[in-house]
Amino acid sequence: MPVLALLVVVPVLGALVLLLLPRRRPELLLPVAVLVSMVPVAIAAYLLVVFETGDAGFQFTERVLWYQPWDISWNVGIDGISLLLVALTAVLFPLSLLASKSITSNLRLYLVAMLVLETGLLGVFVALDLVLFFVFFEMTLVPMYLLIGLWGSGNRVYAAVKFFLYTSLGSALMLIAIISLGIIAGNQTGGVTFDFVELLDIELTSTQQFWLFLGFGIAFAIKVPLFPFHTWLPDAHTEAPTAGSVLLAGVLLKLGTYGFVRFNLTLFPQASVDLAPWLVALAVIGIIYGAAVAVVQPDLKRLVAYSSVSHLGFIVLGTFALTTQGLQGGVIQMVNHGLTTGALFLLVGMLYDRTHTRQIDEYGGVAAVMPVLAGFFLFTTFASAGLPGLNGFIGEFHVLIGSYPTFPVHAIVATAGVVLAAIYLLWAYERVFTGAIDRPENRRLPDLDLRETVILVPLAVLIIFLGVYPKPAMDRIEPSVEAILDRIEAVTDHRVPEFGRMDQVEIAAVEGEG
Amino acid sequence: MDTIAFLPIAPEIVLLVGALLVLMTEVTLSLGHRIWAVISGAAIALCLGFSVLQWLRVDELGPQLNFTTRGVPTVSNPMVVMDHFSAFAGIALFVVAGLAMLSAWRLISSLQTRGAEFVALFLIAVAGLHLMAISSNLVLLFIGLETASIGLYVVAGFTRDQVRSDEAAMKYFLLGSFASAIFVYGVALAFASTGSTTIYGVSGIPSFLANTVVLEPGILLIAVGLIIVGLGFKVSSAPFHQWAPDVYQGAPAAAVPMMAAGVKIAGFAALARILTSAFPALIDDWAPAIAAIATLSIVVGTLLAIAQTDLKRMLAYSGVAHSGFIMTALVAGDGGIPALWFYLATYAVQLVGAFAVVAVVSGPRSDRSPFESYHGLASRAPVLAGLLALFMLGLGGFPLTTGFVGKLSVFSAAIDAGYLWLAILAMVVSVAGLFFYLRVIVLMYFTEPVLAEAPGTATASPQMDAASRVALGAAAAVTLGLGLIPWPLLELVRHALPL
Repeated sequence: MPVLALLVVVPVLGALVLLLLPRRRPELLLPVAVLVSMVPVAIAAYLLVVFETGDAGFQFTERVLWYQPWDISWNVGIDGISLLLVALTAVLFPLSLLASKSITSNLRLYLVAMLVLETGLLGVFVALDLVLFFVFFEMTLVPMYLLIGLWGSGNRVYAAVKFFLYTSLGSALMLIAIISLGIIAGNQTGGVTFDFVELLDIELTSTQQFWLFLGFGIAFAIKVPLFPFHTWLPDAHTEAPTAGSVLLAGVLLKLGTYGFVRFNLTLFPQASVDLAPWLVALAVIGIIYGAAVAVVQPDLKRLVAYSSVSHLGFIVLGTFALTTQGLQGGVIQMVNHGLTTGALFLLVGMLYDRTHTRQIDEYGGVAAVMPVLAGFFLFTTFASAGLPGLNGFIGEFHVLIGSYPTFPVHAIVATAGVVLAAIYLLWAYERVFTGAIDRPENRRLPDLDLRETVILVPLAVLIIFLGVYPKPAMDRIEPSVEAILDRIEAVTDHRVPEFGRMDQVEIAAVEGEG
Repeated sequence: MDTIAFLPIAPEIVLLVGALLVLMTEVTLSLGHRIWAVISGAAIALCLGFSVLQWLRVDELGPQLNFTTRGVPTVSNPMVVMDHFSAFAGIALFVVAGLAMLSAWRLISSLQTRGAEFVALFLIAVAGLHLMAISSNLVLLFIGLETASIGLYVVAGFTRDQVRSDEAAMKYFLLGSFASAIFVYGVALAFASTGSTTIYGVSGIPSFLANTVVLEPGILLIAVGLIIVGLGFKVSSAPFHQWAPDVYQGAPAAAVPMMAAGVKIAGFAALARILTSAFPALIDDWAPAIAAIATLSIVVGTLLAIAQTDLKRMLAYSGVAHSGFIMTALVAGDGGIPALWFYLATYAVQLVGAFAVVAVVSGPRSDRSPFESYHGLASRAPVLAGLLALFMLGLGGFPLTTGFVGKLSVFSAAIDAGYLWLAILAMVVSVAGLFFYLRVIVLMYFTEPVLAEAPGTATASPQMDAASRVALGAAAAVTLGLGLIPWPLLELVRHALPL
C-alpha cells in the first residue's frame, strides 16, 4: 500500500471535500477539517509502530517515474529523522485547527489553506526527489501567505509579503542549485537525475560543493532562520493567526534545519566540514541575540517569536557540530521545539482570545482567575527553558554535549542561551500571571474551557514523555544520524570525536549478545 | 520538380478565406455577429486541425521544404518549410488566437458592423503571424511580419473614439514600421553579404546562409544584429520595449492578447529559426548579444513593472521581463528551443487569461485598468479573483503552475549552455518580480473594495460573458493542468525543432 502517498494526499483531498460542502451548513466545516487532519495522525502512528528501528536507509519507499528525460519521479521514503518530523506535523495540525475557533471570516478558505499547507509540509519531509522536494517546499508558501495576510492581525499584509519574498529569494537560489546538481549528475552518469539517493554517488569538486552548499544553504538559512536572515520571522509570527504561528514555528522553520541535515550534510560533506565553523558561529550569535531581544520584548507573541530564533540556533549548532550527540540533539530538538513553542503560541493565542491584547504590561496577576492556563503556561515555560525531566532538556543537553568536543567555546557561550531562556520566559510569566490583578477588566477572564484543555493536554503529555523516556525517539534517529556522519567521515578528513562513538559500539555489542 | 503542396499553407488559405467570408457576408447579408463567430471559430479550429495534421505528416515523411523557386544559379530557394517547429508554432498560435478571439467577443459584438472588420483584421493578422513562423525565406518572413503588423495596428486603434486608443495605434504604427524597416535592412545586408535570403538552402542544409560564400563577413554580422533588433522590437524586449506599455494600455483590453501573446509566439519563432537555422555558425557572436538583451529585459521589465499602478501597464512591463526569460533559453541555441517553446506557449496562455480578466473587470473597451478596480475583487467576484490570482502565480513562476515548469526548463537550458550567471540573475530578479504579482493578489484578497465613481473604471461585481468564461476556463485549465502534469507538452516540444 502506498502509505506515504496516502499520507500526503489525504489533506489535499480533504480540502476538496471542504470546497464541496454545502454553503448552508458552515458549522460542518471545522469538524470535517479536524477529521481529515486526524487521518495523517493515524498514518503517522502506524508508521511509528511499523518503522524498522535499526535501519538507517529509507523505508516505505515509493518510486513512480514521472518524466523520463529529466528523471523526475514521485520518489518518497522516510528515515528516522523524517519519521519524527512527519509525526510532529501530523500531531500539530488537528490541534491548530481546533484552536482556530476565533476564525469567523471566510472559514472555508482558511481551512482549505490549512489542509493544503499540511500536504506541502508532509510532502517536504517524505520527498526524496529534489524537484519534488522543491515543489512541496514552495507549496507551503501560498497557504501560509494567505493565513498571515487574510487572518492575521495588525501589520499583516506587510508581514505576509515580507515572508513570501524573503523565502522565495532563498528558493530561487536553491532551484538554481538543484538544476545545476542535476546537470552535473547528468554529465557524470549520462542522464540528468534529481533522485536524492543517486545524487549521493556523484563526485563534486570542493568548489562545486561550496557553491551548491550556498545555493541550498541560503534557502534553508532563511527558513530556519539563521542570524542575520531572521528579520522576516518576528513580523510573520507576530501577525499570523494563532494556528499560523503554531505551524510556522512548529513545522515551517524545521524545513530549514531538516534541509540542512538531509541535503547539505549528505550531498556536500566537504563543504559542510569547511563551512561548519561559520554556521556554528552564526548559530551561537542567533542563540544569544534571539534570547537577548526576547528579554526586552513588551509583546508576548513577539517574545515567543524571538525565543524561536534562539532555540533554532541550538538546532543548527548541534547539526554543524558534526558529532553524533550534536546531530541527534539537533534532530530531537526540532521535535521538541515544535511541541513547546507550538504550545506557547497556543497559550498566547488563548490569552489573546480573552483580552485581545498581546502586551505583557496589560496583564498582571491573571493566574488568580486562570489557574489552569497559568499552570500550563508555567509547565511549557519550563519545558522551553530546558528543565530536566521535560523534553527541552534532552535536546539542549545533547546539543551542548555534542558541540563541546568540536566547538568548545561556542558550546560554552551557547550555554548562556539556556540561562537567558529561563530569564525571559520566567520574567514574562511573572509579569503576566503573578502578583495582584491591577486591571479591573482582567478580573473576569474565564479559565480554559474543555476545548482548550483538549488542545493542550496531548502536547503536555508528549512533552513529559519525550522528557522522561526519549529512547524510542532517539533509537529511531540514531541509525540515520550515524549514516550521515559515516558518510562525512568517509569522504572528508573530519573525524567524529570518539566520545559518542564508543558508546554506540558498546550498545551494539550488548544488543548483539542479547 | 516544383510541386505545390497545400498542406503547409493551408492555415493561411483558411484564414484569408475566413476573413473574406466575414466581410462579404456582412456586406451582403448583414447577419450580425453570430455568423462571424461561426466563420472565425470554424476557421481557427480548422487551422488548428491543419497544424496537427502537419505535425503528423512530418512524423511520417520528415520535414518538407515547399514552393521552391529557382533563384540565383545553383541556389534553390524554398519559401515555406513544414517541420515540427512550424507545426507546433501553428498549434500554439491558433490556440492562443482562439482564446484571444473568445475574450474579445464582447467587444466585437458591441461594435455592430465594424465588428466584422475587427474579426477580418484579426484573422488576417493571425495568418501573417503564422507565415512568420513557417517561412524559410527572409523576404517572405518579412511579408508575414508586415501583414500581421498592419492588421494589429488597426486593431489597436479600434476604439478610435477614445484618445488613448488613437494614440496607441499611432505609436504602434510609427515605431512598428521603424522596427520593420530595421528588420528588412538586416535582410538586405544578409543578401548583400551572401547573395541569398533563404534560411534553408539546397536540400535543406541548415546554416546555408552563413556557410555560403560570405562576401563580407562584417556585413553579415551587422545583418544579424539588425534582424535581432527588428524582431526584438516585435517581442518587446528591452531596450526596444518603450512602445509596449502605452500601446497595451491604450488599445482596447480585448485586442491586447493577440498583440502581446500572438506576436511573441510568432516573433520568437522567427527569431529562433533564423538564429539557430540560418546562423548557427555565428552562435558565438549572437549568443552574447541575446544574453545581454535578455539580462536587460529581465531587469528593466521587472523594475518598471514594480512601479506601475495600472494592471495593463504592469502586464506590459512584465511582458518585457518575460521576453527576457524566453531569450534566456535562446542562448543555448538549438538545445534551448524546447524550453523556449514550453515557456512561450504557456506564457502566452497565461497572458491571454490575465488580459481576459482585465477585459471583464475594466470592460473590453477600457483603456485603463487601475489597481483600484481590483480592490477587494475576491469578495465581489470570487471566481474572477481566483483566476487572476492563478495567472499571477503562473506568471510569477510558482510551482504547480506552468510558469514554474517553464522557468525550470529555460534555466536548465541556460545552465546547460554555460550561462550560469544569466540563470542566477534571472532567477533572483524573478523573485523581485513576484512582488508585483503578489501585489495584485494582495489588492484582491486583503483590501476592501473601493467603488469608483469615475465611469468606466470598475463595476461593483463584474460579470463574465459566456465567451470569456470559456476562454478563462481553458486558460486556467492549461495553466494548472500542465503545471501539475507538464509531461505531455514537454514531450511534444522536445520534438518541435526546426529542420
